[in-house]
Amino acid sequence: MLLSFFKKSKNILRPAGILLMLGFVQPVWAAGPPAPSIFSNPFALTLIILMLLLLIIIGILANILLGAADIKLRKSKKNPIAPIAGFMLLFLVAGGNSLLAQNNPATTVTATAAASSIGGMSATAFYIMASVIFLELIVIIVLLVNIKFLLKAEKKKAVVVEISQQTEAEKKPGLSWWDRFNKLRPVTQESELDLGHDYDGIRELNNRLPPWWLYGFYLTIAFAVVYLWRYHVSHSAPLSKEEFENSVARADLEVKEYLKMKGDNVDENTVTLLTDPADIEAGKAIFTNPMNCVTCHRADAGGLVGPNLTDDYWIYGGNIKDLFRTIKYGTNKGMKSWKDDLSAKQIAQVASYVKSLHGTNPANPKAPQGELYKEEAVMKPAADSIKALSDSVKAKDNKVAMQQAK
Amino acid sequence: MQVEKFYYDNKIVKAFGFATIIFGIVGMLAGLWVAIQFYYPEISMNYAPTTFGRLRPLHTNAIIFAFVGNASFAGIYYSLQRLCKTRMFSDKLSWIHFWGWQAIIAAAAITLLLGKTTGKEYAELEWPIDIAITLVWVVFGINMFGTIIKRREKHLYVAIWFYIATWVTVAMLHIVNSIEIPVSFLKSYSWYAGVQDALVQWWYGHNAVAFFLTTPVLGLMYYFLPKAANRPVYSYRLSIIHFWALIFLYIWAGPHHLLYTALPDWAQSLGVVFSIMLIAPSWGGMLNGLFTLRGAWDKVREDPVLKFMVVAITCYGMSTFEGPMLSLKSVNAISHFTDWTIAHVHIGGLGWNGFLAFAILYYMIPKMWGTNLYSKKLATNHFWLGTIGIVVYAVPMYWAGFEQSLSWKAFTPEGQLKFTFLQTVINIKPLYILRSIGGSLYITGAFIMVYNLYKTIRQGSFIPDEAAEAAPLVKEAGKKKEYWHRILERKPVTMLIASLILVAIGGLIEMIPTFLVKSNIPTIASVKPYTPLELQGRDIYIREGCYLCHSQMIRPFRDEVKRYGEYSKAGEFVYDHPFQWGSKRTGPDLAREGGKQTDSWHYTHLYDPRLMSPGSIMPRYIWLLDDELDTASTPAKIRAMRTLGVPYPEGYDRIANKDLARQADSIAANLKKDKIETSSNKEVVALIAYLQRIGRDIKAEPKPIAENK
Repeated sequence: MLLSFFKKSKNILRPAGILLMLGFVQPVWAAGPPAPSIFSNPFALTLIILMLLLLIIIGILANILLGAADIKLRKSKKNPIAPIAGFMLLFLVAGGNSLLAQNNPATTVTATAAASSIGGMSATAFYIMASVIFLELIVIIVLLVNIKFLLKAEKKKAVVVEISQQTEAEKKPGLSWWDRFNKLRPVTQESELDLGHDYDGIRELNNRLPPWWLYGFYLTIAFAVVYLWRYHVSHSAPLSKEEFENSVARADLEVKEYLKMKGDNVDENTVTLLTDPADIEAGKAIFTNPMNCVTCHRADAGGLVGPNLTDDYWIYGGNIKDLFRTIKYGTNKGMKSWKDDLSAKQIAQVASYVKSLHGTNPANPKAPQGELYKEEAVMKPAADSIKALSDSVKAKDNKVAMQQAK
Repeated sequence: MQVEKFYYDNKIVKAFGFATIIFGIVGMLAGLWVAIQFYYPEISMNYAPTTFGRLRPLHTNAIIFAFVGNASFAGIYYSLQRLCKTRMFSDKLSWIHFWGWQAIIAAAAITLLLGKTTGKEYAELEWPIDIAITLVWVVFGINMFGTIIKRREKHLYVAIWFYIATWVTVAMLHIVNSIEIPVSFLKSYSWYAGVQDALVQWWYGHNAVAFFLTTPVLGLMYYFLPKAANRPVYSYRLSIIHFWALIFLYIWAGPHHLLYTALPDWAQSLGVVFSIMLIAPSWGGMLNGLFTLRGAWDKVREDPVLKFMVVAITCYGMSTFEGPMLSLKSVNAISHFTDWTIAHVHIGGLGWNGFLAFAILYYMIPKMWGTNLYSKKLATNHFWLGTIGIVVYAVPMYWAGFEQSLSWKAFTPEGQLKFTFLQTVINIKPLYILRSIGGSLYITGAFIMVYNLYKTIRQGSFIPDEAAEAAPLVKEAGKKKEYWHRILERKPVTMLIASLILVAIGGLIEMIPTFLVKSNIPTIASVKPYTPLELQGRDIYIREGCYLCHSQMIRPFRDEVKRYGEYSKAGEFVYDHPFQWGSKRTGPDLAREGGKQTDSWHYTHLYDPRLMSPGSIMPRYIWLLDDELDTASTPAKIRAMRTLGVPYPEGYDRIANKDLARQADSIAANLKKDKIETSSNKEVVALIAYLQRIGRDIKAEPKPIAENK
């Protein structure tokens, strides 16, 4: 029973080593760009990790159950671990396979991104993953119930077995792999280790250090030396600043490639009014996002801190190109520049959505601001002033949101 | 040899034990209250003392210093007498210690709720209380050493080594981190600024965990676990190695709280490697605990005390493995500023500290009342509620941390941020609800314990002075050859000095270069001191505990630079007494907040955050709109800053309020343009001035175009 309890610890150790290795190998990954496919969706990723974790728990529990059953049956005197390990391996491989099989459709479905999505992934993928998790939970419960049942039976026998065990132990102290692993001496030989200390009845043994603990300690010290060497002597690992520059450079390249492929290259001179309902809908989603336009212009665009966007009056011009420019670079009256938050395509979508709101007459609108604008009549002066502004922004590449003077 | 008869003082243990229970409940309820504010901000009741920013320090201080502190004292007073075979050195000092500590807790509760805070996490208490803590700590030290000196036991048991290391290190940490310049009775500024303040603070903060929440509790484990299990300690050799390695290595690890910040890289690396090296020494304690139970596992099934201890030690093992993993830069990049950290500390807090405190209470109280525990079944129920509570608390927080961090880092293929900050908060709200359910389960368990202990006390009768006898210590004439460490165990003062030297090394090596070598904090010419109004606003920011939810530290990551602006530089914080980098991003980072929003946006947002950001969980700060700014304090504040080396011109303290009024008027005028009528002497104006200043200096050249208008 003791043995099976400690088996858990063994399983903790292996990921420990792997994590340690990760520390060496992958410090760059932290700020790097997210991998594509389903792994870029945090929700899906967490679900996958949860599935794997539960699987590991199932593996451990199954191991314990088999161990307990084996102790109970005591069928053979041969090493019982080997067949169990073999079985476990099979079990894990099978489990892993089925998991992957289920992941495959999930990835493809997300790629086509249906409208009915849960947590940013397709509903099918979500339900598949959820049911896997649910099944895993059921398996865990079944295993737990079985283990409890076995242990209970074991406990009743314990009293009887103890006597026979003791005589057995005196003959030949049986050391399990766990005892050997920790250099544990049998409890019956304890008196040899007793140091004779007595503090308020507390005695002290002088067991040797568990070898894995000691060598683990040495390993961490070696890690420390190598780590410091790599970062500060040989400079073969990037420090924070370098790591940042690398990751940005890599990401910029990827974005550039992507945009080249997709052709997202509209600007304030080439933009045209989008009329596709999908674009208007996308624009609406951006506009009504709580952190975007609605904070200043209200959900119905009737104006709050910012002006009413549904009337005929525009401060910085009312045609699609003016709107695009205003959103992209911001204004000197307090509106921020959105070019770092929205892509060119998105700005065009928002601008088109705003245009689509014209004349919707929301309740309680803000009083008209700016000049009367009529469609097709280009408001030269306003456009010019904003053009000048945008040019200077471009020149200085000032990312500051333009605000009132402090 | 003549045997001497003497009496153990149980009264003081009883007092500390009761204080543990009372403050444990108070601290946990405060925790539950702040947990609910995460999804139901209205429960802050729009009342300053009950907002998150003021209740959170109350929660942490109550749990650390009142709950775990009193539990440690109870356990130390109980075990020290028995391990030294003597009564405490002085009953009077014991009671001064007890009442002094409780008075400090009461003062802490009042001042924290009033917003009197230094703005440094876990060291929030203002300078008069800091002095009181120092005095009471000295009283405790004299009493403890007096007891050790007059002991009837030749050698010091391992528990006492831990008590000694605790005492000396906490004294050092508290004094060094609390150096501050008083401005008024309950207001002071940290002596250190910016990067240096951060280094000192997290050297303190990390080691408060190490030497207030770990070493004394390990000492308790070394006494109460073998007693309860009636088993010998597994390995004396392991005790020696893990004790000395632990106290030496722990001190260095502080900078792992500052990975990817403006702290110099070399200091960050030291934090990483020493954290990794801490795994084995920490696990030494866990192994010595769990292996001591060898041959007693059948008792674990029966005895609630051992049950609690096994889970406590397991949680200790888990969090001391997780901690070093979180110190790896690649993991820290994900975990830092998220709820992952919150999950991590609560494995330690609820599991290790809480469960060990429960275990010793369940052990000591029946013993001191000469009876058995009223109900093992209730204790077992407490155990299960607590354990399930921990799981239900931690799992959602791990999930929340992981999900939020990945959402922060998510980009669209076009290279835009995929989520706004607010979206990432709204997404994890359900997990916050789950977390508070876990906490409620845990507290329910604690209430069951209170009832169980009450019934136990009712059925027994208290033994105020417990009789014991032992032979006095006699000096041995002949020199016997002894193992070197046995010799040390006979010399408490040598042990004290050895511990002090060992724990001082790490701090000195990290701090001295950071303070003296100029290249560690390159100066930036455009960074200027705060104006008087901004300084006052900053003090309001500190008072309301804004730093508990908003960081001011943009790390050099693609997503953070995109979201917040240029990453933070060491030279930007040279006038920040204290630094306000924060450790959690419940709200967005504010390091470049200056100029991002209009004054009227801030005004409305402080009045009701949900008007500007629907779904926000920030509390409302209505009183800032009504309360008038205390400008009488301005000259003293300017003088204090001058003493700290902030280059205000000579005599500026006399004219500072004129500048303050001018700036306040301009902000009020600005608000008026957006149809917000406010008089310029309100606190909100000062806070807006500060918020509009943060992080602007580095952008000073070229000047933002808008300023030319």
